[in-house]
Amino acid sequence: MAAIETTVVRSTASDTTARPGGIRPSRRRRSRPASIALHAGLITASFIAIFPVFWVLVTSFKPTADAYSTALWRNFTFENYSSVLDSRFPRWFLNSVIVAMLTMALGVFISATCGYAMSRFRFPGYRPLMWLFLLTQMFPVAILIVPIYNIMTRLGLIDTYWSLILAYCTVAVPFCSYLLKGYFDTVPIEIDEAGRVDGLTPFGTFWRLIVPLARPGLAVTAFYTFLTAWGEVAYASKFMTSEKQYTLAFGMQVYVGQFKTEWGDLAAASIMVTVPALVVFYVVQKYLVSGLTAGGTKG
Amino acid sequence: MAEVSYVNASRIYPGNPIPAVNDLNLEVGDGEFMVLVGPSGSGKSTALRMLAGLEDIDTGEVRISGKDVSNKPPKDRDIAMVFQNYALYPHMTVAENMGFALKLKGVPRSQRDTRVREAAKLLDLERYLDRKPKALSGGQRQRVAMGRAIVREPAVFLMDEPLSNLDAKLRVETRANIAALQARLGTTTIYVTHDQVEAMTMGHRVAVLKDGELQQCDTPRALYDRPANAFVAGFIGSPAMNLKTVPLTEGGAKVGDLLVPLTRTVLDAAKAASLSEITIGIRPESFKVSTDEAGLALHVDLVEELGADAYVYGTAHLGDTDEQVVVRVADRAVPEMGQTIRLTVVPDETHVFSPASGERLG
Amino acid sequence: MTTTTTPPVRRAGDPPAAAPGRRPGRLRKSWDKYWYAYAMVTPVVIVLGVLVFYPLIRGVLLTFTNATTRNIGNPRFDRPGTYRNIGLDNYTNILSNQDGQFYKVLVRTVVWTGSCVLLHYVIGLGLAVMLNREMRGRTAYRVLLILPWAVPAFISAFAWRFLFNEQGGLINTALGWVGLGPVSWLGQSNLILLSVIIVNVWLGVPFMMVALLGGLQSIPAEQYEAAEMDGASPWQRFTNVTLPGLRSVSMTVILLGTIWTFNMFPIIFLIARSNEYAQILVTYSYNLFYNGQLARSATYGVIILSLLVIFATGYRRVLRKQGEVW
Repeated sequence: MAAIETTVVRSTASDTTARPGGIRPSRRRRSRPASIALHAGLITASFIAIFPVFWVLVTSFKPTADAYSTALWRNFTFENYSSVLDSRFPRWFLNSVIVAMLTMALGVFISATCGYAMSRFRFPGYRPLMWLFLLTQMFPVAILIVPIYNIMTRLGLIDTYWSLILAYCTVAVPFCSYLLKGYFDTVPIEIDEAGRVDGLTPFGTFWRLIVPLARPGLAVTAFYTFLTAWGEVAYASKFMTSEKQYTLAFGMQVYVGQFKTEWGDLAAASIMVTVPALVVFYVVQKYLVSGLTAGGTKG
Repeated sequence: MAEVSYVNASRIYPGNPIPAVNDLNLEVGDGEFMVLVGPSGSGKSTALRMLAGLEDIDTGEVRISGKDVSNKPPKDRDIAMVFQNYALYPHMTVAENMGFALKLKGVPRSQRDTRVREAAKLLDLERYLDRKPKALSGGQRQRVAMGRAIVREPAVFLMDEPLSNLDAKLRVETRANIAALQARLGTTTIYVTHDQVEAMTMGHRVAVLKDGELQQCDTPRALYDRPANAFVAGFIGSPAMNLKTVPLTEGGAKVGDLLVPLTRTVLDAAKAASLSEITIGIRPESFKVSTDEAGLALHVDLVEELGADAYVYGTAHLGDTDEQVVVRVADRAVPEMGQTIRLTVVPDETHVFSPASGERLG
Repeated sequence: MTTTTTPPVRRAGDPPAAAPGRRPGRLRKSWDKYWYAYAMVTPVVIVLGVLVFYPLIRGVLLTFTNATTRNIGNPRFDRPGTYRNIGLDNYTNILSNQDGQFYKVLVRTVVWTGSCVLLHYVIGLGLAVMLNREMRGRTAYRVLLILPWAVPAFISAFAWRFLFNEQGGLINTALGWVGLGPVSWLGQSNLILLSVIIVNVWLGVPFMMVALLGGLQSIPAEQYEAAEMDGASPWQRFTNVTLPGLRSVSMTVILLGTIWTFNMFPIIFLIARSNEYAQILVTYSYNLFYNGQLARSATYGVIILSLLVIFATGYRRVLRKQGEVW
């Protein structure tokens, strides 16, 4: 065997030679000024994002007379909260909670089954249906409010929770089905097939296999339906006629008088309304990016 | 002249005590096709990316055409890269993809078009110039990725496992095309793969890496015939070389009932290291089925008939354990499952390594 | 290549040929295959049909009448309706600008929608790009920046109203510190449009940011590296890799954002009430409704819907031509 020129190299510990030019600029580490600019930008944006709510929080602890003061702290008091809680507020809070939770439960369930069907089955007519769902997003409140009001009256549902729950579902379900379809599209169909081979019905496959995998998408749906119900104003202002049935969205108008606004009470009430939304938000927020991507980007 | 060298180059990821590439020293000549091969995690892609400028070089340097480029950004290194997943720009046509780098450099339109068309002709892509990547098959996309690199007429081509996303048949075809292309263009090429067959068939020289360290850099023939350590011996060649740790005696290595004679150099090296056992490497084709009753007894478990020859997988009793051994049988008289056959070894075709360090002895 | 480990096995006999007979009709086949799907989808379709499309049709029919709260019947009290059909009068009335309002409000709506969506997108994209980098506190920033989305719209409306208040609102007070006079943010001028735009942008950026961030994360890193090797500067990489890579997400969120903003009711309603400088089509329509002009209110609704449908269809067509699958 002729000895061909070989370069057999052993790796040995080499002495580090001094490099001219000092420290080499790393690819990864961004430069100091860029880093500062980045953080400065984000801090400013974050400040703008939370400031209004923060300011309301601060105001809620000041008596209404001092509402306009710029100090963070002036005559710290709980009187706003107690005044609000003494009124109809708790009842409205309860109404909103019930409506929102039921809307969330019903909305998620229906959107999920519908989105799943559209994702997996591609039945004839699914494309027009999807387009239709998108279309319902475009309907302005004004055009629907009168007829729906009439229907609700005829069904005897005015002034009950169900009028709002059903109305909110019509708003939330199409969008969420659309979103969830896109999300289910990213779950490989092999999982469904494995489930079928193992003997599950399509519904069983859906419930036991796909749903656990679709958590981010479902989280976004739950979030969206809850918030829609929690914050909706137009329908709430018309469908609930007796004061004790009001939801928070409409009830709080009471603090906004024609000429003078009870800022203190309003602030306290606002905080109490925002907190549940923030709680739901916190629970769901880590899923929001992935849940929205998969759903929102697919056509 | 576009030589490439790695001089004591290392890359350590922060937070990881073990370097991804440890003190690499490698010289690539002008126009040479150098393949970096190794299992996953061996550092081959990292080494390539260090040359590309996509990874930091923590110590040491890389040189192209004799100049230290370690501090230069990728675009100043006069290199072009073919990525494993092609990384084509999805919203541009094939022609635009290939011409993009030239456009950024300010090359005038007519010149750009000419160069793109030439490269397309070379790669048989002329029909596809107006298509977008999503309208192309995998093989076509791969060619576009190559075209993108060729158009730039760089000093060095870098290729990161360009064939791994193709189906088997296409892979064989494209392998030959790439090798021919490189020979025609004469550009220095560094090619990364985990497939030793690609390495052996395409490279002028092959560098075997393991755990970030260079094991051996040699021509394919030399790697096959004289592996520098047990790892290279077991990595190159398919089916893999039989590597067994056996006791050493005065005359040679005791492989079961068979005494394999070893050269004086090997025996001296073993004695110098005070070894009582050695790792012996015998390729499947280095075994001979013996007609008489002498030799290593092999109980046949499985026979794979490939037409022209066959591989026999069996169990041999070495020392106190049963070990699997693979033997190539070149004639049509193939043993049967369950049979016991006797083996001898072709004398000059054994490789001996130290059991502790894996280094070649002699 | 044969192995001699096991002798070759003959497979069990082929399945018997399909029994001859009538082929099931297409409808039947479709039903068999898809009945699960239909079962899952039917509840939604029914509810939508009853609560959206039926009202829609009724609403449209209403636009052909001169119904007001005074002449509309109330089933509860058994009072019959006395409104009558007036054909397309409502439409001609509005579109020919007889009430002097329509085009003014339309222009304002377009200005409102355009500026909001543009700002939503640009700011959202900027924040998403910033958030896409690895840095300390990244999660904290992300949570804080999404916060406005979690706050119910009416709360934001009140909060900002508080800040914009002419006498004691924090913004004017802060302006006073730097020597600038108090600004009538919510008064009778075009400034109020600016104010509500600010609020809506504050409210809508998180959604865009999150969607675009998701889109950014789906762009493979290799493309950036390839661009770097091709010699692209950071800005060139942004225009040639990032923006094209975000196309499908961008198109979706811009469409959705436009639709939502066009129809954004609570913000303007709660902050500006009936301030005529802030009315957009939806709020104007609601005010009509509130004042009892049922038919005219519904007419506006139909016009709004038509505009959006035209927009969406045109949008879709433009996208199709550019090769997106929609």
